[in-house]
Amino acid sequence: MNFFLDIPPATFWNNPSGSNALMIRLALALLIGIAAIFVLLKAPTNYRRPIVGVVTFLSGAFYVMLYLWPVAISRNKGIDAPRNPVEGVAFWLDDAVPVVANFTSIVTAFLLGLGVYSLLRVHGRKVMRKETDWVFSVVLLSSMVLMVFAGYGDWYSRLDPIKAPALELRENWGPINYLRDVLFEGMLQQMDAAMFSLIAFYILSAAYRAFRVRTIEATILLAAAFIVMFSFMGSVEAAWGHMVNPSGNIDNFSNNFTLTEVAKWIRGSIQKPAIRGIDFGVGIGALAMGLRLWLSLDRTGGKS
Amino acid sequence: MSTKPRSEMSLGEKMQSVPKPILYLVLVLLTSLPLFKELNVPNKPNEASEDFYATVMAVPEGSTILIQSDWTGSTRGESGGEFESLMRILMRRKIKFAVYAAGDPQAPQVVKDSISRVNDERKLSGQPGYKQWDDWISLGNLPNAEAANQAIANNVQTAFPGRKAIPSTGGSPQDVFDSPVLKGHTKLSDFPLLVVVTASNTATIAIERYAGKVKMAQMVTGVMGPETLNYYPKQVVGLVVGLKGVYDIETLMEGGINTADPHTIKDDNGKFQGKSVEGFPGELNKGKATRYYPTLHFAFALLIIAVLIGNIGMFLAKKEAGK
Repeated sequence: MNFFLDIPPATFWNNPSGSNALMIRLALALLIGIAAIFVLLKAPTNYRRPIVGVVTFLSGAFYVMLYLWPVAISRNKGIDAPRNPVEGVAFWLDDAVPVVANFTSIVTAFLLGLGVYSLLRVHGRKVMRKETDWVFSVVLLSSMVLMVFAGYGDWYSRLDPIKAPALELRENWGPINYLRDVLFEGMLQQMDAAMFSLIAFYILSAAYRAFRVRTIEATILLAAAFIVMFSFMGSVEAAWGHMVNPSGNIDNFSNNFTLTEVAKWIRGSIQKPAIRGIDFGVGIGALAMGLRLWLSLDRTGGKS
Repeated sequence: MSTKPRSEMSLGEKMQSVPKPILYLVLVLLTSLPLFKELNVPNKPNEASEDFYATVMAVPEGSTILIQSDWTGSTRGESGGEFESLMRILMRRKIKFAVYAAGDPQAPQVVKDSISRVNDERKLSGQPGYKQWDDWISLGNLPNAEAANQAIANNVQTAFPGRKAIPSTGGSPQDVFDSPVLKGHTKLSDFPLLVVVTASNTATIAIERYAGKVKMAQMVTGVMGPETLNYYPKQVVGLVVGLKGVYDIETLMEGGINTADPHTIKDDNGKFQGKSVEGFPGELNKGKATRYYPTLHFAFALLIIAVLIGNIGMFLAKKEAGK
């Protein structure tokens, strides 16, 4: 029985596919999972917060330990044995990384299911009750169903061990592959691009109406913005460069005043330090917020 | 903003209140018209783009690189051009690649469609296509960038457990790590290069998790450029930013790099050492950027003119009010 992939070398987190040890661990994991959900559901409301707090702390502690614990250098997985408890923990953490990543992937993937459930619930109710604009909900739900059908159909057609390689070429496609292509590439991606391109209209309108040189700061900002924009315009860049340094010799002092060099100076000497400063502040804020979440110090909500 | 009827407005007020429909119409015309005619705009590739091109061109032929692709149709003007130009270089140099996504579930399909387009292009010019399994592998999507990147940094093989693909000759699906693309690759350091093509902050997440473990180059959108520029040239050895960056790459693919490098020490004749990387002259190097760059040009020009008109209008209105 090879339902599961063998991932050599064997560690605390895996066992050979089909082995009894693996089956026992799977059964245990299933039982623990069901018990955990049952306990969480049955726990009194005032106990839920500590339970969530403990799980959050343990989850966060893993990555904190991974970051702080000494790492075994040049470890030969499956061959090297830990020489002391510190190295033992390092090996255990090292082996657990893909497992924890899979945990987070699965939990994140649940969001997709939650999204589908939420869409069906909200728009299904709208259609059933014929609320305002219910027709749009019909379009949305039918589009979703059609896309799922075409997507899975295309995927299924590519599982055929004989036909699959040929499907890399468009001329070998069947109706389901074309349907997927029209819906996904021909419609969804194009509409995505069209929606995003609308930003150009907002930017133009906002810049025209709001970008006024009323203060010195605004004037400096406008000048810097113009120089950077000009530096993205090849023809302006070339004309300016020819004007200040006609020979094109990079040894000339005037080369420092070409649009390329001026824009580079703005980016390197003004923009970069400013962004680094902002990033540093954001990083400290994120650290403080992370600590509050990890240690369950956030007291808002969740009380009965 | 003045609420007077337009006929009673002064010139300054009129200049500050050009109706939105007129602005939008001019924008539509200026950005659409260049798409109908190919315009050759002069270009001087910037250092970050040159370093990106030189880095990809330095990857040994036949080796495998890793690509993280986190873009979809919404940024295809920039990211689509970036990815396709990267594909053209890799395919011409016979460099294999494994591609995965960590930012958007749509990304793996978008990548497959993009590779398919470049393959069609090669077929039309009589070149062999790139085959899945033999030349490239899709590792799919990992839905949490932080955890996924951490797992990949730890061990590439265990980060993608159970990924299977059908060999190009057919038959039952096999583990992708048995394919010619990924055989023998377990650690990040087994790959000579990792390229991140992204439209989001997965650029910085990748830097946080991978820096120092693999040589990394990135292709990001104009919006992500300033943020990512912080990490160039240390953590990110080559950087392509936005449509101008893709235009740089397409320019370099045509002409290569053959310039004096001002960062070198001058020789006895007082000359800087040369930077030289060959291009692919005469091949199909012009892609999305060559088509879209004039549009960006006109859009910037319109934006600058609009801001200037608004400001001149403001000064005129102030002057008229002071009379």
